Amino acid sequence: MIPTPGQSSPAAPLNEEAKQHAAGAMLGRAAASPERTLRRLFLTLFLRGRSARGLRKESAPNSVGSKLALTLVFYALFGLFALVFHGQPVFALSVYLHGMTFVFLGLFIAASAGEVLFNKEEADILLHRPVTARALLRAKIGVLVEISLWLAGAFNLGGFIAGVGASDGGGSFPVVHAISTSLEALFCTGCVVLSYQVCLRWFGRERLEGLMTATQVLVAIGAVLSSQLVPRLIVGVGGQMRLAASSWWIGLLPPAWFAGLDDALAGAGAGSSWGLAAWGVAATVVVLWLAFGTLARDYGSGLQTLNESSTPRRKGRARRRWIEVAIAMPPLRWWLRDSVSRAAFLLTAAYLMRDRDTKLRVYPGVAPMLVFPIIFMVQDHAKHGKGDFGVAFAGVFLGLVPVLGLTLVQYSQQWQAADLFRAAPIAGPAPLCHGARRAVLCFLTAPVLLVFGLLAWVMRGQVSELVLLIPGVIALPVYSLFPNLGGKGVPLSLPTEEAKSAGRGLTMMGVMVASGLLAGAATWAWSAGWFWWLIMFELAAVAALYGGMRASISAARWPPME
Amino acid sequence: MIVVQHLTKRFGAQTAVDDLSFEVPVGQILGFLGPNGAGKSTTLKMLTGMLEPNSGTATICGFDLLREPIEVKRHVGFVPESGAVFESLTGLEYLEMVAALYAIPPEAARARIRQFIAFFDLSFETLTDKLLGAYSKGMRRKVVITAALLHNPPVVFFDEPLDGLDANAAVGFKALIQTLAREGKTIVYSSHILDVVERVCDRVIIIDKGRMQVDGRPAELLAAHGADTLERLFTRLTGGTELERRAADFAKTFRP
Repeated sequence: MIPTPGQSSPAAPLNEEAKQHAAGAMLGRAAASPERTLRRLFLTLFLRGRSARGLRKESAPNSVGSKLALTLVFYALFGLFALVFHGQPVFALSVYLHGMTFVFLGLFIAASAGEVLFNKEEADILLHRPVTARALLRAKIGVLVEISLWLAGAFNLGGFIAGVGASDGGGSFPVVHAISTSLEALFCTGCVVLSYQVCLRWFGRERLEGLMTATQVLVAIGAVLSSQLVPRLIVGVGGQMRLAASSWWIGLLPPAWFAGLDDALAGAGAGSSWGLAAWGVAATVVVLWLAFGTLARDYGSGLQTLNESSTPRRKGRARRRWIEVAIAMPPLRWWLRDSVSRAAFLLTAAYLMRDRDTKLRVYPGVAPMLVFPIIFMVQDHAKHGKGDFGVAFAGVFLGLVPVLGLTLVQYSQQWQAADLFRAAPIAGPAPLCHGARRAVLCFLTAPVLLVFGLLAWVMRGQVSELVLLIPGVIALPVYSLFPNLGGKGVPLSLPTEEAKSAGRGLTMMGVMVASGLLAGAATWAWSAGWFWWLIMFELAAVAALYGGMRASISAARWPPME
Repeated sequence: MIVVQHLTKRFGAQTAVDDLSFEVPVGQILGFLGPNGAGKSTTLKMLTGMLEPNSGTATICGFDLLREPIEVKRHVGFVPESGAVFESLTGLEYLEMVAALYAIPPEAARARIRQFIAFFDLSFETLTDKLLGAYSKGMRRKVVITAALLHNPPVVFFDEPLDGLDANAAVGFKALIQTLAREGKTIVYSSHILDVVERVCDRVIIIDKGRMQVDGRPAELLAAHGADTLERLFTRLTGGTELERRAADFAKTFRP
C-alpha cells in the first residue's frame, strides 16, 4: 500500500474518497494519538531546527542534532570530575551533582523554553487543529524534559560510578540518583513553565513578550549564581567532604532536596535527608500540578497572544523618534557617517528593543555573563575592603558583551529577509557589520559599563579608582570586531537553530581566559605602580590589532548563498 | 452550516471585527472580501478557533465555537494566508503529522496523500526527500491546501489560497472547490483576486473596518449598486476612489 519514491497512483475521484471517509470506511492500523504525534513533532523540530533552506532531508539540517551529541560528550567528560568524590559521603557527592545539574538544566531550559513554548509561526499551523492547549503544552514539556534528561544523564555518568564507591553509598545509588535527577529535570522545567504561566495570569497577555525576556534573564542569572554557590558549600574535614557548618541555608536550595533523596534512599539515610527528600518530592508535585494543571489554560491564551501580535504603537513610534534624533546628532552622527552603517545600526537597535525572538536570545544570553564580575567585586570587597581585581575584571569582562551580543544578533527568525543586503549595491558586509557593532556597543555594552562603574564606585567609595575599568574599555573595539572577522557579523542573517552552537561556548571560554589574563595584568600593574605604562602598551597593541581587523573586514566579500 | 452572531474582536483600543453576523448554508461558496486590515483574517481565525472573540459567538456544523472548540476544529479545514509550515519536515512527514492530529489511520492517510499528490502534480520523491524549506512557494501552498483538506472537513476556510500557485494549479484548484461545494462542503473564500471571487463564489460579503458593508449574490450586488464588476463595487464601498488618477500622478514622480 505504501508507495515507493517516484511512484504515483492514478487519482481516484476525491468525492468518492470523501464519501468513504465520511462513512468511516477507513480501516486498518489506528492513528497515533495526537499527544504522541505532537511529541514526536516537537522532538524532530528541536533536533532539526525549525527552518531549512534549499536542502534535502539527508544533508540538513542535522547540525543541531550533531551539536547536541557533541554537547553530550562534553557534559560526560565534564561530569568525570565527580570521580574525585570517590569514597566521600553520598550527600556531599549528590549536592555537587544536583547543584551542577540544576545549573545546566536551568540554562538549557531558560535558553530553549521561549522558542519551544511560544513559537509564532506555529499558531498558523497548529492552533486550528483539534488539539487542546494542554496537549500542546504537555508535548512540549515532554520534549524539554527528555532532552534535559539526556544532558543530565551525560553529566551524571561519572557521578553514578562515584556514588557506587561512596563511603555510605552502594549499588542502589545509580537507580536512586536517576530517579532524583528525573525529578529535578521535571522540577526545573515545571518552574520555568510555571513562571511564564504566573506572569501571564498576573500581568496579562499584552506584556507577555517583555515578561518572557525578563523570566529567562532571571532564570539564567539564578542558575549561574547557584553554580557559584555550590562549590562554596563543601569543605574538607579530616579527609571527608562535608557541608560547611555555616551552610544551614542549603535546605532552601532545590539541589539539596534532591541530594537529600539520594542520601535517604542510597546513602546514610539521615533524618534531615528524609526531610529534604520529602520537601523535594512535594515541591515537584506542586510545581507540576500548578504548571500543567491549574494554569494550563493560560498557555492557550499565551499562544493566542502571539497570534494577535500587537506591539503598543505609540511606544514604538516614540522610541524610533528618539533613536532617529540621536543618530542625527553628534557623536552618533560622526560615528555613523555612511548610510548603510546607519541603516544597520537602526535595524539592530530596533530588533534589540522590539523583537521577541532577538530579545529572548540576547538578554538571557548576556545577563549571566555579568554575574561573574559582580561576584568578584562583592567577594573582593567583603574579604579585603577593596577590590582591585574585581574592578579590573569587571572592566575587561565587558568585552564579552559585544562578542556575545554581536554573535547572537546575527540570528533571526526572519533571516531570509537578509537577502535584501545582497540585493543592495553593497560590495561586502563590512558597513552592515559596523552598524550592528555600534548598535550593540551603544545599547548593550554602554549600559553594562554604567552598571559596573556605579557598582565599583559604590563599593570603593572613590571615583579615582574607576580607572581600573580603563583597560577593559580600551580593549572594547577589538572585542567588538572579533565576531565580524571574515564579514561574519551581518545582523539577522542566520537561521535561529544555528544559534545552538557548541562552538560559541568554546569562543566564549577563550575570550574569558583572555579577559582574566588582562585583568590580572591590570591588577598587577596597578599594585606595582606601572598602570599607565600598561595602558600605553595596551593602546598601541589595540591600535595595531584594530587596524588589521578593520582592514580584514573591509576586504571581506559576500560568501556564497549555500 | 456556519452561523455567526455578533462576533467582535478588539486588540487593545482597536476594534478589528465589529459585531459581525451572517450565516452560510451547506454547499455554498462565500467570498469574504475586504481591504487590508478590514478584519478578514481575524474573522477567519476566530471561526477556526485560533482567536477568542471578545463578544459574540458562532456555531459551525452545530458546534458552538466557545463551548466546543475542539469539535469545531475537527470539522473545519483552514488554509491560512501565511502558508506557514514546519520547514524542517519533509512534505510527507508534515502531512502525516497533520493526519495523525485528526486521528486518520496511517494507511488511509497515505492513500489520501497520494490522491492529492496526483491532483497537484507533485512527485512522491519530492514529498519524501525534500524538506519543506526547500519547496517553492507554490509547492508549499499545495501542501498547505492538502493539509487543510486531508481530514475531509465539511467546512473549509481559505485565506488567499491561490497565492503562489501557477496558472494550471489555480485553474484546477478553482474547479476543485466548486466541485467540493456541489458535493456539500461549505466554503469561505477570502481573497483579493476579485475576478476569481466573482466567478467562483455563490455569494459575497464585503467588510471594511471590521463591519459588514454588503452581503449578497455577486450579480444582485452589482445590479443593486450599479457597478459593472466586483472590482468596481469593492473600490466604491471601501473608499478606493480615483485610483487610476492617483496612480497616474504617482507614476509621474518616476520621471528622471
